Amino acid sequence: MIKKTTFKRRDFLKLLGAGAAAGSSVSPIFSQLSPLAFAGDDTSDKKILVVLELSGGNDGLNTLVPYGDDAYYRHRPTLGIKPNKLRKIDDHFGFNPDMSGMERLFKDGKMAVFHGCGYDQPSYSHFTSMAYWQTAAPNSGESLGWVGRLADALDPNVTANYLVNVDATQSLAVVAKNHVPVVFDDPKEFGRKGLFNSRPLLDKDRVATSNSSQAQRRLLELAKSARQASEKVRSACENYSTPIDYGIAPLDLNKIAALINADMNTRLYYTSFRRNAFDTHVQQPNLHQRLLTYFSDAVSGFFSDMERIGRADDVVMLVFSEFGRRVAENTNLGTDHGTANNMYLIGNSVKGGHYGDLPSLTALTDGNMQHTTDFRQVYATAISGWLGLESHEQVLRYRFKEFPVFS
Amino acid sequence: MECYEHTIKNIRGNIDLFYNFLPSTAEELMNAKLKKIITIATTMLAVACLTPNSWADTDWADDLTAISENDWSYEKARHLVERAGFGDIPINIERLATMGPRAAVRELVYFHSIPSTLPDFDHSGIHDSGIEPFPASRPAATKLAKETGEAIGVKVKPEGNRRLQPVVDRFFYWLRSSMLETRRVAHWWANRMLLTKRPLEEKMTLFWHGHFATNEEKVRDYRKLLNQNQVFRAHGTGNFKDLLIAVSQDPAMLAFLDAGVNIKGSPNENFAREIMELFTMGVGNYSEQDIREAARAFTGWNFTDLQFVVNASEHDTSNKTFLGRTGAWDGLDIIDMILEKPVTAEYIAGKIYKFFVREEITPELQKELGASFYSSGYEITPLLEKIFLSKDFYSPASMGTHIKSPVELVISTYKKLGLDVVPGVPDFYDTTESLGQILLFPPTVAGWAGGRSWITPGLLLARGNFVYDTVFPNINFLPSDRYPENYQIGVVAERLATGADIATATQPEDSYATSASNNMVDRDEEFNTRLGSYRGWRMAIERVKPISRTPARLNLTKMVLAAKCTNTEEVVDYLTKRFFTISIDQDTKKLIADFLEKQLGTNNIIDAQTFSEEAVRETFHLLLSLPEYQLG
Repeated sequence: MIKKTTFKRRDFLKLLGAGAAAGSSVSPIFSQLSPLAFAGDDTSDKKILVVLELSGGNDGLNTLVPYGDDAYYRHRPTLGIKPNKLRKIDDHFGFNPDMSGMERLFKDGKMAVFHGCGYDQPSYSHFTSMAYWQTAAPNSGESLGWVGRLADALDPNVTANYLVNVDATQSLAVVAKNHVPVVFDDPKEFGRKGLFNSRPLLDKDRVATSNSSQAQRRLLELAKSARQASEKVRSACENYSTPIDYGIAPLDLNKIAALINADMNTRLYYTSFRRNAFDTHVQQPNLHQRLLTYFSDAVSGFFSDMERIGRADDVVMLVFSEFGRRVAENTNLGTDHGTANNMYLIGNSVKGGHYGDLPSLTALTDGNMQHTTDFRQVYATAISGWLGLESHEQVLRYRFKEFPVFS
Repeated sequence: MECYEHTIKNIRGNIDLFYNFLPSTAEELMNAKLKKIITIATTMLAVACLTPNSWADTDWADDLTAISENDWSYEKARHLVERAGFGDIPINIERLATMGPRAAVRELVYFHSIPSTLPDFDHSGIHDSGIEPFPASRPAATKLAKETGEAIGVKVKPEGNRRLQPVVDRFFYWLRSSMLETRRVAHWWANRMLLTKRPLEEKMTLFWHGHFATNEEKVRDYRKLLNQNQVFRAHGTGNFKDLLIAVSQDPAMLAFLDAGVNIKGSPNENFAREIMELFTMGVGNYSEQDIREAARAFTGWNFTDLQFVVNASEHDTSNKTFLGRTGAWDGLDIIDMILEKPVTAEYIAGKIYKFFVREEITPELQKELGASFYSSGYEITPLLEKIFLSKDFYSPASMGTHIKSPVELVISTYKKLGLDVVPGVPDFYDTTESLGQILLFPPTVAGWAGGRSWITPGLLLARGNFVYDTVFPNINFLPSDRYPENYQIGVVAERLATGADIATATQPEDSYATSASNNMVDRDEEFNTRLGSYRGWRMAIERVKPISRTPARLNLTKMVLAAKCTNTEEVVDYLTKRFFTISIDQDTKKLIADFLEKQLGTNNIIDAQTFSEEAVRETFHLLLSLPEYQLG
């Protein structure tokens, strides 16, 4: 990230290379395109965004329960969680029973909850809706992920290892035009096996020849970045241990902690609660409570760990799911795909509290809530308010009204 | 430089033909000098064609007309076998190369005349009727046990501590043993892919598995996944309508998509949605209302154990309006109406094309293939034959540009090595998992994204590691079907053996236990889930037959000597021709040949043969670690 104080004209022109004509005079539009206009101080280049995806369509209504709204209990005679079981955070909302970590984070003022997040003409398909959230292009076709585009916009120099995705396969969210995301799952496996004698050739970066096909070219690039990334990731994870308890399912936040601790160049991390775990169509209560416990433990464990290593001021986490669930319970003690849901921004720098209008639980469309907040507003808040890219439309295609979460 | 050789061959072949047709007097007139000029001209032409795209086939892309017999070559036969199957050893490709395209494609596509002698799956015998119906969750199992005194064929203890423990043990036993047995099914299938004389049969089974993706993790019954696998095999190259009905009425899919809880008055949309979105028409060709109506039509579809049943009392018999038509539709009617739409044929044909040919398909080509598929009445074999004979299939855009999926990579490597059994070390499940694809456990009902998503930096390294693990089998290998992934139950086992009480034995490890989830484990005195997890695992590995842990039996020296290699350059040339589907640049090949020479202390592989195996294997690992090896 280019610090404001070391900004040079040739850097500025380099940034414009992709978009505006290089020869154009300095005009007002350039300030829109410049990623340098952040309000932060010089520590801004240490800011990290961790995106946590809860896959499967988490039931927001049973996560942060609006116990103060009777309609909730009318729609959910069996599934509704009684007020005395909840972890109340105020006189309207309470967290699902075992989410002690999330409750504490909210009460410490480190959690912003965004209500009614969704988009127009919502899709009820996991893959489609998740793809919309991952590309920030609802009801549109887009092959690049929003986090990938964000990396390209924030870092035109294409710094190595800028974008890390902890997963078995690359998430659509991190597919970028210029950056090659470092994707790994098990850090121990993220290293090449090879005998001593063959190392020089194995690790040799080969270049494409004029005869190389497009497919060949791409593979050669990937091989190069693989080698560089693997060394860093492996040593970061090897050199890290923590007494903090992340619970039963750390959601790879402990691996992210290891990389943050090792001061990798990485600014953007993406991880998920995988395999559509939250798709609770049947027998929801116990399963969902368990999942939320794991989630809460992992997130609070992560932030405790950040405190421990002194990086808590540098890290903000964004949590989302591809849709909420229908307001009424179904007859299988579960819930079906719905629409609006909560999103969270969590961190020391977050001004905690509720944001966005509560969606009505009575004025429903086909049994589903009307969203009150476009989910991209929360993305924009993170992009501009936290990461300092004022012109978030570079990433999101349009401007969105941000929330005053970061002063 | 395959195009170079091919074009030269082609042109020279044509020139020879030309000479043969000349009257003898004319031939006398053709003096040596003229012949020389023509030879120079062909060389120049060939030089002009020093690009990956042969000037002769650049306009073959998107052309579905059949290639001619003259167009056939070893490279094309190799390409066909790579795509329609899992690749093969040179001698088998040569046989197909001499047959000409029509006969070669015919043999691969119309395979039913080739006998199939592969063994059926050998069950471990982990299931018994008491397990049915298996409860939806552990809490459901213990609730049932508390209410009725029994669940999963196990009674509640009348007295004492942890009265429900046996039920919980049984619950985890079935989860663990079914999971392990499913891995055995995948291993059995991998052997089929390796050994079958009908490669397209297994390749199509693999395709349909990715298309009608169900995951044992949710289904929790290996038998259903095995039966579904048989459905794919039996109908995979037949008629798509038959296949679609068979899959939709198969318990694996019904379980996976919650069909059983889709009943009159309480429709569950999962099944209807995925049938339309993923299995037939694709997004944008129906409305949300169509899904809701279709769900009602499918009500009553269920399964009992391994049988499809229609529960008439749970079927909604009233009218539904689906895709603009109203009637008292049932599930089969919905399927018919879906198939009536040409877009279904386009969607399926397009998917088949992307799997076998390449990712980029123009809308026009997709329409053309779809129309062809539709007018045939959804017959799959003619569609495949058309694709495999097409110029498009053999165009430069299609040859050597497919990124092999993990399963394709592993099986084709074993096949090209000439193995007669899938090695037990490295473990097939472990390997494919590290590469991002586990048979019978696809990540979601959308299957695997495929294409470029198979390659990330980490995955590229893992692919190289697979080759290493094959030629240098890990002597520290721990079979994951014996050692639990959850190390904590290993700790439980040790503590119990030392005489610890259950509460102590099942405490979490030394980390500061602040998390709520770890404290929950022993909360209920009626049972202990961690104990159940340990016992379930133990009982599972007692019952599930072990996978044989023989590594690959390799003799790469013998292989290259049998191919008449005499020096290190020839060894590298031979290995690249045998294993790769594209050519590797001379500089790289030279580097690797020099490497081999350095390890051997000589250039002469014949002289070195008594001690060359280590070095040849190391060279093999180097070679197959090249990024280009991912292309098929």
